[in-house]
Amino acid sequence: MIEVQQLTKRYGDAVAVDDLSFTVQPGRVTGFLGPNGAGKSTTMRMILGLDTPTSGTVKVNGRPYAGSVSPMQEVGALLDPKAFHPGRSAYNHLRWIARAGGLPRTRVDEVLEIVGLSEVARRKAGEFSLGMAQRLGIATALLGDPPILLFDEPVNGLDPEGIHWIRSFLQRLAAEGRTVLLSSHLMSEMEETADHIVVIGRGRLIADASITDFTQRSTSSHVHVVSPRLADLGQLLERAGATVTRGEGGLTVTGMEARWIGRLAAEQDIELHELTPRRASLEAAFMELTENSVEYRASNGPAVAAVAAVAEAAALTGTEIRS
Amino acid sequence: MTTDAAAFTTSQTRDARVDEVRFINTLASEWSKLTSLRSTYIVLGLGFVLSILATGLGTFAVGETFDGWSEAQQATFEPIAFAMLGNVIALIVATVFGVLAVSSEYSNGMIQLSMIATPRRARVLWAKVLLVFGVTLGFGLATVAGMFLVGQAVLGAAGLPTATLGDPDALRFVVGLGAATPLFPIIGLALGVILRSTAGAITAALGILWLPLVFNNMLPLSVQEHVLSRLPGAAIDSVTISHVVQSTTDSPLMVGIALVVAWLVGFVGIAQVLLQRRDA
Repeated sequence: MIEVQQLTKRYGDAVAVDDLSFTVQPGRVTGFLGPNGAGKSTTMRMILGLDTPTSGTVKVNGRPYAGSVSPMQEVGALLDPKAFHPGRSAYNHLRWIARAGGLPRTRVDEVLEIVGLSEVARRKAGEFSLGMAQRLGIATALLGDPPILLFDEPVNGLDPEGIHWIRSFLQRLAAEGRTVLLSSHLMSEMEETADHIVVIGRGRLIADASITDFTQRSTSSHVHVVSPRLADLGQLLERAGATVTRGEGGLTVTGMEARWIGRLAAEQDIELHELTPRRASLEAAFMELTENSVEYRASNGPAVAAVAAVAEAAALTGTEIRS
Repeated sequence: MTTDAAAFTTSQTRDARVDEVRFINTLASEWSKLTSLRSTYIVLGLGFVLSILATGLGTFAVGETFDGWSEAQQATFEPIAFAMLGNVIALIVATVFGVLAVSSEYSNGMIQLSMIATPRRARVLWAKVLLVFGVTLGFGLATVAGMFLVGQAVLGAAGLPTATLGDPDALRFVVGLGAATPLFPIIGLALGVILRSTAGAITAALGILWLPLVFNNMLPLSVQEHVLSRLPGAAIDSVTISHVVQSTTDSPLMVGIALVVAWLVGFVGIAQVLLQRRDA
């Protein structure tokens, strides 16, 4: 478990992380979402003790990372996949890190096998493609077999096959009961991989929710209903409190779950040809978040900062649409 | 590049790992870093060869021109000192080696991994200091001994006076000069941490080492005796070679030793404080 409490990091006048609090639970992949420059990397660096917070605390497994007697067996991290000496072989790169953590030579072979780099282990890391470097970075994170894993933008520059590999890999790590924090500026990435998301903008918390909650709170979640008696069904559902609009050759129902729609229709002997719950995409939910900023706004700060954060979030969505 | 689901992430080698990481682990890790780079062997190997080559050429030139020297010069001819002509090269190489031991980690970003693997940052610094000390000590002794033997052989072949290691002055000179080699590499290492830049640290370290030598004779004697004599280069010379080659910047032996220790503690101490306080 990672506990971030009222974390703030200032560089002179610039605030990189602003009174940020959240908890990362074990057993699931937590997405850490925000545009470039939102403070994700700075937060991760503070979790690992690389940067000292201006104020606030970070605990991993209940204590600061730097205080651990065997740090690599507590937390593993991939921050910068190119952080290696280009002239050192992949094997020797992992070897020095393993030795620093008091880990046996055999563990180096294991992690190379896990990430699929065994055959190129003796090649200089400087000759690796970005995808191979990412795998080497993941191997580094896994060396200590830690219960907590941090990955900063691990899919950057990967081809679709590599992205798929990392996704299922992270999910398996979480399924083993580990705490997995995955940062990204791509929402589509989170939707496929994460169970829970923490969204920040300009260093402030915008949302901390499960993907399901996050998208269900969105009004673009609805149920699509097709029936030969659309008019009757529409009236029936509206009387029962749902909001109904016609379109797409059927009805779009919001504010009522599919099973209630089905039960009401059955009671009135209305034939249904289609009854489809449609969850808003994370991206749509995000767009909406930027419109209904008040609902998700961080509660304890000046409104200006929250508006700025929402503007960042909007920029984030824009980024995703362009790509 | 496929992943076998059966051999997944969990370590099969739990028993072999340590419960508590200690300084010896950091030392082993830093040793791995040094020995796994070809540049380590190339830099030190070339330094060894070039230093001895320079001494050989220098002493050969001495032998060829000796007859043209003035009588006063011939009378004060000192075969031990002339055998050390190549030591400048050995010192530069050793200093660059000391700087690179940390500065390369700043240039490629690896320092992050070092700090994550060993959050007790002082351990990383001290492991590097110990290894740079040990490696450059061995390098210095071997190089100085090589230069001495080659130098004496060349001078002897030219029919000039020579010294042997049986001569106490010569032995102190050779061992002293060799043992003094790690001073500048360790200062260079500290500067690498302080400046976080290869070019900056090499320039600074070589500047501290040589600028006093370059400007020494241009400055008033009082400055030489009271300011320049306190610098690390002059201090180490007072300890190692002042019994053979005198200089205006020499200090008494114990003062020289105290100065050397003070410079080392100062540079490494500043490096440690900065390494611990700054964001990595």
